Amino acid sequence: MKKRYIVIINILIVGLILFIIVKYANDRATESNQASIASFEKMTTTTEQIVANYLEDEQHLCDIWANYINRSAEAGTPMTVDEAISYIRKAKISPEISGHLIYIDDGSMAGISTTASSTDPSNFSVKYSHINIFENLEISNVDGVVNLTRAYTNPLNGVQSIAFLNNIQVVDGETGNMRDALIIRVVPVSRLEQKLVFLKGEYENVEISLIDWDGDYMIHGKSLKNSNFFEYFKSYNPMSAQEYENVVETIRTDIGSMHIRNSKNEDSVIAYAPLSNLDSWFLVAYIPANELTVSRSIDWMILGIVALGLMILLHFNLVILRNYNRKLAVAAEAANQANEAKSYFLSTMSHDIRTPMNAIIGMNEMILRDSRDNDVLMYSENIRAAGNTLLGIINDILDFSKIEAGKMEIIDVDYNFASLLNDIVNMVQRKADEKQLNFKLEVDKNIPRCLHGDEIRIKQVITNILSNAVKYTREGSVTFSIDSSKCEDNPDYVNLHVSVADTGIGIREEDLDKLFEAFERIEEKKNRNIEGTGLGMAIAQSFLNMMDSKIQVESQYGKGSVFSFDLRQKVVKWEPLGEFDAAFKSFLKEREKYKVSFVAPDARILVVDDNEINLKVFVNLLRQTKMQIDTAESGDACIALFKRNFYDVIFLDHMMPNKDGIETIREMKAYTDTPNSKTPIICLTANAVSGMREMYINAGFDDYLTKPIDTKKLEGMLLTYLSADLIKEVDEKKKKILVVGENIDFLRGVMAKLSDIYEVAVAKSTEQAQGYLKTHEVDLLLVDYQMPKLTDVDEGKIIGAHFEEMNVEEVASLADDYFSKVDDSGKEKA
Amino acid sequence: MNRGIKTILSMTLVAMMGFNLASCGQDQGQNQSQDQSSEQSEQHEEASEGFSPKYSSDTEYKLSVVGTYSNFESLESTIDRFYEYYPNGEITYTFLDDYRNTIGPALAGQEPPDIYVVQPWMYGNPLFTSLFDDAEVLSAPELEINLDCIRPSVKWEMDNGQIVALPVFATSYGMLVNMDIFEKEGLEIPETFDELKVVCEKLKDAGYASPVMGANTSTTPGIGYAFAYPMFAKTVKDDRSVEDDLNNLVPSAGEVMRESLTRLKELVDLGCIDVDKCTAEIEDDYNAVIMRFFEGDVPMMLCSGDVVSGTKKRESKSEAFSAKPFRYDFYVAPSGDEGGYFMDSISILFCVNKNSATLDMTNEFIRFLTSDDELGRMALEKRLITPTKDYSLDEVYASLGDFPEERTVNFRDTEILDTAVKQFRAAAYAVVNGEMTVDEAVASYGTIPTD
Repeated sequence: MKKRYIVIINILIVGLILFIIVKYANDRATESNQASIASFEKMTTTTEQIVANYLEDEQHLCDIWANYINRSAEAGTPMTVDEAISYIRKAKISPEISGHLIYIDDGSMAGISTTASSTDPSNFSVKYSHINIFENLEISNVDGVVNLTRAYTNPLNGVQSIAFLNNIQVVDGETGNMRDALIIRVVPVSRLEQKLVFLKGEYENVEISLIDWDGDYMIHGKSLKNSNFFEYFKSYNPMSAQEYENVVETIRTDIGSMHIRNSKNEDSVIAYAPLSNLDSWFLVAYIPANELTVSRSIDWMILGIVALGLMILLHFNLVILRNYNRKLAVAAEAANQANEAKSYFLSTMSHDIRTPMNAIIGMNEMILRDSRDNDVLMYSENIRAAGNTLLGIINDILDFSKIEAGKMEIIDVDYNFASLLNDIVNMVQRKADEKQLNFKLEVDKNIPRCLHGDEIRIKQVITNILSNAVKYTREGSVTFSIDSSKCEDNPDYVNLHVSVADTGIGIREEDLDKLFEAFERIEEKKNRNIEGTGLGMAIAQSFLNMMDSKIQVESQYGKGSVFSFDLRQKVVKWEPLGEFDAAFKSFLKEREKYKVSFVAPDARILVVDDNEINLKVFVNLLRQTKMQIDTAESGDACIALFKRNFYDVIFLDHMMPNKDGIETIREMKAYTDTPNSKTPIICLTANAVSGMREMYINAGFDDYLTKPIDTKKLEGMLLTYLSADLIKEVDEKKKKILVVGENIDFLRGVMAKLSDIYEVAVAKSTEQAQGYLKTHEVDLLLVDYQMPKLTDVDEGKIIGAHFEEMNVEEVASLADDYFSKVDDSGKEKA
Repeated sequence: MNRGIKTILSMTLVAMMGFNLASCGQDQGQNQSQDQSSEQSEQHEEASEGFSPKYSSDTEYKLSVVGTYSNFESLESTIDRFYEYYPNGEITYTFLDDYRNTIGPALAGQEPPDIYVVQPWMYGNPLFTSLFDDAEVLSAPELEINLDCIRPSVKWEMDNGQIVALPVFATSYGMLVNMDIFEKEGLEIPETFDELKVVCEKLKDAGYASPVMGANTSTTPGIGYAFAYPMFAKTVKDDRSVEDDLNNLVPSAGEVMRESLTRLKELVDLGCIDVDKCTAEIEDDYNAVIMRFFEGDVPMMLCSGDVVSGTKKRESKSEAFSAKPFRYDFYVAPSGDEGGYFMDSISILFCVNKNSATLDMTNEFIRFLTSDDELGRMALEKRLITPTKDYSLDEVYASLGDFPEERTVNFRDTEILDTAVKQFRAAAYAVVNGEMTVDEAVASYGTIPTD
């Protein structure tokens, strides 16, 4: 990962942590704030109760005054104004409170006070005509409820007051008439304010206001400007008329709280509640939001310290990380060098093994093509199988890096199951024999003969398991069992159950987990004499995993182990395998004899290799194509021919002394004056390490062919690169053989053996043979020594043999030997 | 600095910014509060250039101010600014019912105010004697009150040279001018009566039926008073020998009204003002005047400064003005041949109760208030004329800034009693409405019905 991504991620994590801290603090603060506001609302309702109770009490005292005066009237002894006032003077205790008695029946709103004017101690008269406090009250009938005026100025002492009212009847001292009057208990607002002082202890900046229906204040909070609360609210909280009406309605009807903006545009909270038992009076408690929500603010100091701490930690980590990175870079460099060394080793090993293998397999291919001796073919086939297995192992070692890198692929092909078994048995049987182990083979004869899957990998898996079994078994047996069953869910597939049981050393239960780890060898000390890299089972398990299977192990320490796995394979031919030995022989018999796929006598190709044997192999493998093949043993020789002659295709080895293939091709590409400017150049190399193909293509080669040479691939590649007019069909004309002998059955056997390849005729007498030769030309005469000598026949075409001492195969091989040594005209090959 | 460190720092800043953004929703209130505090702090710094507190900032106090305004938000704003220096106190403003009858008892009562409002007309009235007797001498040097910022024309010195009342607002009489109409019609604001005639003619041609409007009442903001009284006062100022006769309602003194009433009659007769239209469309001398002016089709609206003070709050209440706002300014009415006459009158004054229980802090508040800035800001908020020399704060009154002294009349230039003033208002109303000729009005001086 790039450094900047690490830095970004770290910063994001720091940011996330800070965000979480902030969010947590905010959430807690929000909860706390909600609780604070709920508490504030509760305080408001409690205050409202206190205020309401106080006002009720004051009204009650006013009512007592009124009742006393009115009872006198009802009793027929109405009081005069002076008597009533005199009574009230006695009844009222507090000097701050005064009683006003005014007439309302004549509209004068004038009367007498219990206390004198502050400016004239002799003046007790009072007049309310210029003070409009009764407009919302039915002053003619105010009995029964708390009748409270707005805050107003007491006309006698200029003190802001509230008045509690009740109706009374008094007698006019002058006229003797009964008068309707109003008794007013005048209480300074400051007296009510004193009742609210207790709130300061709980909330320092709370301001209690009492407003009437219109929003006019009885008690005016310090921070609330304007003489009207609703006007104030509207001035500093812009909103639509509808919203404003809703707010007013809410305050008038509900108990609750809301956030508002004060005159400084600060967030504030008001809690409101209507005063109980009083019409149209409301308590509004105001408080700056930051007092209620003081815990809402984030502790920036702590947050800053945390942020700083995290940043220091981040910086520290980055420094440490940078140091580690430096060390890692050094280690990585070393690892890269080691890896390059490994790659170089693998490449060299692959090349150095494949080079002689090319000769072995190539020459063996010649034997397989030319020999008709069954024993020789059997041996040759075993060489081929062992060679292929060896190649497979080399490939596995090479491809182990692929497995590590996750680049290994399963390549499914059609394959003959008998051949697969044979290859395995050939590999293992010999080893078992060497250790005098009993190698038992239990093959289900119903296994389909031809399947579709990765033959090489399956073979490698089984071979690895069997090799291990043989390696770790000192005495007793190794049993290789394989059976099959049809897949129930898919009729085109079979399940192969492969099992290898041995009587070997077994595995401890605690060691089972190590079994499939690469380079891990169980009981290393005890088994140090047993060869092995520790890769086999790991590779086997990896391959099986890729084929949706896995190895199961059952083992008893000291007694032996059973390794097994199930493998699902597609069936190509349902023909059963039958007895394995017979099936294998049948496979060999049915094995298609090599036939060249094309001839191109006019084509001219150049093959360049520093190894003379490999040049021979190459030429012989293509002999039947009849192409003109030039060879060169060095890059310089190649360039000389390249400059001089035209070639249809050039095969160029890579690893050559002095001038290697890549240097050679660069030089060739540099020449412009050459007939081969468009000639395809194919890399023919023993270097088969993965990734090489791309390297060669990038170096300028048109294609890439690995050694040992696969004839089919080679011919396929030529068909691709040769122009169509050079390709000619293979002449299918068979050689004619006449076999002459007395034993008819023997002759029939020879005929059956040879007629696949040759046109065979038999004659049981010399006369019969002479007669046949008059009308037919033959390429070869196989004649029993016991028969009379033929006349008028080319002696060169006659091979004599003692048929009685030979079997059919030996006689047939004589024909193959002959035709391998002569050309089409019957002349001995050079 | 290497690139890595730069990257770390920049990413840190980005992270912190994101983090702040994440939390800003929660802290909006707080941020605003902080903004507000910083704003206040700036204001504090600004104000502190002119005011340095005498007392400790943690001084506790409680002051009361009483007055005639039911609403005095401009004072409350000033109090808020005072709290920045003295936060541990409380100053309350209380409107006294029936002020003229209750202020005396209030001063003598259990809860006397620390500061109270007086008006010039109260002086000399026995009912209000205590208001001036109980007033602290604000010009006492130890109080360090900067009375020099007050305009001489409204600075009220008693006979003994002492100043006991601080003018808070000044007022005048003149007209509100719709500046957009004048700009649209390409006209200059008229300064003389001749220019007014020409302008009115052009405005009528442009479709304004009554280029000048006003409340058709006999009150101070009414048509006759706002237009003609300054001219009348100037006449008295120029010849104060008639003052006694005027105040004693001697009929012959009515002659002094002739010039101003004639000019008023001329205004009506020339069709500069459609009195019937004014009567029909302007129901009272305050709210209706403002709301009609805000309709946007009145080039000039005669009114007093007190009416102008109501304009600010009513801008949002007028649908027409909200839909199509326009710029308006206050000008003196161009009644004279050389120009209009500026009545530089005191609206209200503050007196400090010398018996205040917290006299020191009361005086400290007055000291704070007495500055170009504070008085100007109060006047701006109330939209009345500042009593200071600096008119610049409120552009509506900017035209008064360099008004010629020779055409200015202040409250000490004349001593016309309320009864005489009422006679003039009644005469002007009668002339405007055709109830009397100018001759009849002059002849009837002293007996013109005033109710």
